[in-house]
Amino acid sequence: MLKTPRRLAKKVEGLSDRAVAWLFIAPTMALLLAINIFPLFWAIGLSFTNYRANRPNEAIANVGLRNYERILTDPDIWIAMQTTANFVFWTIALQTVIGFGLAFLIDRKFRGHAFWTTIILVPMMLSPAVVGNFWRFLYQPQIGLFNYIVSFFTGIPPSSFEMLGSVQLAPWAIIIVDTWMWTPYVMLICLAGLRSIPDYIYEAAEVDRASPWRQFWSITLPMALPFIMLAVLFRGIENFKMFDMVNLLTGGGPGSTTEVASITLKREAFEKWRTGYSSAFAIILFVAVFGLANIYVKALNRVKQR
Amino acid sequence: MAEVMLRGVAKSFGQTRAIEGLDLTIADGEFVVLLGPTGAGKTTTLRLVAGLERPDAGRVLIGGEDVTLAPPSARDVTFVFQQYSLYPHLSVYENLAFPLRSPARRMGKDEIKRRVEATAKLVRIDHKLESRATRLSGGEMQRVAIGRALVRQPAIYLMDEPLSSLDAKLRAEMRLELKRIQQELGATLLYVTHDQIEAMTMADRIGILKDGELIQIGTPRKIYTEPRNTHVATRLGQPAINLLPQGLLPDAGLPAGTKTVGARTEHLRIEKSANGQADGVVDWIEHLGDQNHLHVKLGDRKLITLSPPDTPLAPGDKVMIRYNNPLCFDADGNWLGGRAQ
Repeated sequence: MLKTPRRLAKKVEGLSDRAVAWLFIAPTMALLLAINIFPLFWAIGLSFTNYRANRPNEAIANVGLRNYERILTDPDIWIAMQTTANFVFWTIALQTVIGFGLAFLIDRKFRGHAFWTTIILVPMMLSPAVVGNFWRFLYQPQIGLFNYIVSFFTGIPPSSFEMLGSVQLAPWAIIIVDTWMWTPYVMLICLAGLRSIPDYIYEAAEVDRASPWRQFWSITLPMALPFIMLAVLFRGIENFKMFDMVNLLTGGGPGSTTEVASITLKREAFEKWRTGYSSAFAIILFVAVFGLANIYVKALNRVKQR
Repeated sequence: MAEVMLRGVAKSFGQTRAIEGLDLTIADGEFVVLLGPTGAGKTTTLRLVAGLERPDAGRVLIGGEDVTLAPPSARDVTFVFQQYSLYPHLSVYENLAFPLRSPARRMGKDEIKRRVEATAKLVRIDHKLESRATRLSGGEMQRVAIGRALVRQPAIYLMDEPLSSLDAKLRAEMRLELKRIQQELGATLLYVTHDQIEAMTMADRIGILKDGELIQIGTPRKIYTEPRNTHVATRLGQPAINLLPQGLLPDAGLPAGTKTVGARTEHLRIEKSANGQADGVVDWIEHLGDQNHLHVKLGDRKLITLSPPDTPLAPGDKVMIRYNNPLCFDADGNWLGGRAQ
């Protein structure tokens, strides 16, 4: 065993366990306060003012709840919220169905299932910035692989449609990329759920003459449900604040068809420099996610306790 | 109910041989208990009858029909697992009704209700029909699991140590219950345990398994009094039979070829020595209340036997020990048949 150097030993001597514990967590606490807690409260403060970050010398007036009032009555904001809801709904629906399906197949433990699991997980390991950039190339009408494959199977000429440039297709382009990237994550959680179901329950069902169909609906799905719900929660929170990929792929366009809430927020804050107003919007988004997540976690706990 | 036959059944898992050349017939309405230590192949035998494992060799017949290759659902069996294999998100009622709801049965709603309620009463869980399976105590869960097997009337009930997870009191109750239920229904039942008391009290016949082989099968009385070899003899009796080398105690009149003498309590007469002559010394006495375990030292050997609670013996006493019709085994540990003297 290494002996503690005498100088250090002297310094530590006389400190209680509690003091040492505080010493260890202090850096983390300080960092958390500085970059999470403090900005949150600062933003709450700003949300009641007309402060603009690009005009720091202007007088700041307290406007009370005016920012909130204006946001909640602004039709553009509601359109952005709808776009977000649409995006969240479709990505979760697709990722849950495909992710659970893949987990169900991988769970069969066929030859090489570990290899395929790893392969499937690859997209998840990439950075969203990288994913956004290379999908821009894949979606290229002339040289993009995506358009080429679609035309190969359907016969539609590849340059006749623009995934990122069309008002109808752009939302789906983003949904496809997010699904491609994050389905493996949902699969992983579902797989953990499926693996947690003991074999003897299936054996009991088999002896009880339950068909595979009935086994799925009365054992597999109910017992994996808490895991599925957890995956939905994670993906839901994550996609509610989706920013980087959308920003890289479409930047909210064409027009504002893919302008999700966080893109609107960025425009208000760093293009229009309405700092007070965007702070209020950020707080509203935060409360919305927090509230929804809380309701959802209550439901999740109810399912888990069954 | 039907007769179940295993003929020359063998099963290995990789390099491990679980069952070897097993021949076993369970008569219609018979309660057969397989007794053996962990890894003897008891559970594998049950799973082979259920169809949860496929034999490497041999045949399985249920009611005269060869079902060796049939899946579990095609065999008319029910299985009680050692673990609480309830459907956790379903109520007790739904758990019990689960096997009846199989589309193959096409059972009416009223009939299901009648059967579930009758079965719940049988296993004394009728007061908790609406509870969720996960809200039950261990004993209640296992009663539901047993009930789920009883709700059908299959060719054979298979039970894998169903009572091992219950506390002693409940286990004693359930032992009686199971025997009563089996007799009431006239059920054919194959039951696996490592508990000799369960085997002795419930079985019509006991099968002793060791390393995948059926060493002996017979009525509890027969297995107890005429064990085929020393292994079978040590499986039954509490405290365990004393296996002593021939010549350790005066043993005139034992059959020729006796190498090992098996002596249970009823095979020994122990008296306080009067004339200084002694075979052994009382080492210590375990008081169990209704009886005592008497530990006697015979040179470097030890002998354990029962004695009445009011025994006059005390640790340190010198004692005379005589055999009284003990079990005699040859050099290979095989029983020599008949009784001595």
